[in-house]
Amino acid sequence: LDPGRFLDTGSQGSRSLAAHPGNQAPDDRPRAVSRTSEKDPARHAEQHEGLHYDIPLQDMRTLFPHSLPPRFSMQVKTFSEACLMVRKPALELLRYLKNTNFAHPAVRYVLYGEKGTGKTLSLCHVIHFCAKQDWLILHVPDAHLWVKNCRGLLPSTHNRQRLDQPIQASIWLKNFKTTNDRFLSQIKVQEKYVWNKQESTEKGSPLGEVVEQGITRVKNATDAVGVVLKELKGQSRAGRFRLLVAVDGVNALWGRTTLKREDKSLVAAEELALVHNLRKMVKNDWHGGAIVLTLSQTGSLFKPRTAYLPQELLGKEGFDALDPFVPILVSNYNRKEFESCIQYYLENSWLQHEKAHTEEGKQQLLFLSSANPGQLERLCAHL
Amino acid sequence: MAASSVKAARGWPVLALGVRNRLLRLPGLTQVRWSRYGPEYKDPQIDKEYYRKPLAELTEHEKDDLELRKTQHIKAAPATKTSSVFDDPVISKFTNMIMKGGNKVLARSLMTQTLEAVKRKQFEKYHAASAEERATIERNPYTIFHQALKNCEPVIGLVPILRGGHFYQVPVPLADRRRRFLAMKWMITECREKKHRRMLMPEKLSHELLEAFHNQGPVIKKKHDMHKMAEANRALAHYRWW
Repeated sequence: LDPGRFLDTGSQGSRSLAAHPGNQAPDDRPRAVSRTSEKDPARHAEQHEGLHYDIPLQDMRTLFPHSLPPRFSMQVKTFSEACLMVRKPALELLRYLKNTNFAHPAVRYVLYGEKGTGKTLSLCHVIHFCAKQDWLILHVPDAHLWVKNCRGLLPSTHNRQRLDQPIQASIWLKNFKTTNDRFLSQIKVQEKYVWNKQESTEKGSPLGEVVEQGITRVKNATDAVGVVLKELKGQSRAGRFRLLVAVDGVNALWGRTTLKREDKSLVAAEELALVHNLRKMVKNDWHGGAIVLTLSQTGSLFKPRTAYLPQELLGKEGFDALDPFVPILVSNYNRKEFESCIQYYLENSWLQHEKAHTEEGKQQLLFLSSANPGQLERLCAHL
Repeated sequence: MAASSVKAARGWPVLALGVRNRLLRLPGLTQVRWSRYGPEYKDPQIDKEYYRKPLAELTEHEKDDLELRKTQHIKAAPATKTSSVFDDPVISKFTNMIMKGGNKVLARSLMTQTLEAVKRKQFEKYHAASAEERATIERNPYTIFHQALKNCEPVIGLVPILRGGHFYQVPVPLADRRRRFLAMKWMITECREKKHRRMLMPEKLSHELLEAFHNQGPVIKKKHDMHKMAEANRALAHYRWW
């Protein structure tokens, strides 16, 4: 157990077993009390709260070509299935998204909460919903990866003051292509872009060409990302597609970086071209879609571990840039969700310790994890 | 044991202690491990079930015991012993042996990562196996751990005995705790030394535990080597006097 993890959260004490959530559909296996057979996120409602639904692995490969949170991807690999729990914050977000007015400017939704409560997986749930509804998904899996540990920073070709990150940009373009392949041939570029003396993209050519250019010519990858973002923002108001901008760890865009130039001077966040372009994307001056953001202390730089509120993680600059937004708190499991999670692990025979099946074992797990999803997962991993 | 060590420190005759300490505790030698607790301090009762029994169900002996404990001095419970249902003395002992420099946090996390690695490997095998083989695959990391250590325990050991100016390796039956200690020590030494520089301890340990569970691998080989040496030196067995 990590020490100091529970210093600020009180103990839950002993609780009696809540009744298991009943079967939701007649074709569920009688023993699968923690699962629902409803695979379409659009039809998830309050009666599915606390139950797990599984995403087909083929969809996982298209929607999340980059890596998911490492522990979740280990779980997907071990169980050979990707099951997400339907929870209140995600249901709330889905309700808002279903009722979006695409003529109004894009609304920003910020998922915030303490460490390990399930912000990233709620974001994944929302992305799955939007993919099923055929939206175009602009997903940045972890904005912190763009502000730390980047090798190969180049001065930007477009603007002398800014810096390019060729490797990160090309990886992102590859993943973007995998997720949104079908849109890339439909969307046409509205300006001519000249990459260098030999190569240029004509007006009216498909966006897929810009993405290919970025992937093949890594030096132009950052500019290609900038072009893609600009085009998508400009064309989303035309109404041919709906755009979802999903950024995990958005507090990285307004934080400090640990990157240095060759002369050992520190790089500020706005001097990175990728960050600059993403900040413009997250502004609500376009319509025809929605922006869903997640704050994350886990990968953040120079932020204390106990910080989780938007004001603490974004700082004054970030908060003012994102204001106004809809904050959605993601909290620990309630009793029903905790029982459901334990049932899910028992169904997959993940809890192998003989005492973990007993009432006393369950109470101890509740006490030790204080119903925090991340902690519970780590505890059950070795039991 | 604390009482016996305290007695030795106070210079009382060691022979009064009993059968356990006869091996190297010759008269005149003072023991160095001692405890601040005097002999009147009793060990704490950690087991929750002991206290949950209603008064009516207790025997006379147990009722007297309870009464006595109300007035006796009791030692403080060590931080490592818990009343948790998941508490396992073998795992605790192994974790302590892995620990270096008092870094229990690291040792414990290595232990949990090892158990998780064992579990994940076994799950992978389970999913890849056919229906008949699935019944034979053990997925509980704790049973694998206990069985692996049991398989590594030597039955007979060698002890250096001084006779006529030379030390001879004499085959000797080992006590239970010595066997458990040797199994754990061999396992940890093997995993520390015979691994690639970049390989992490949990990965190596999980691999070795799984091999020992199936009675294969270098630690089992070491046990067999020990048995063979004992068999080879069986002529010296009469040098043993206990």
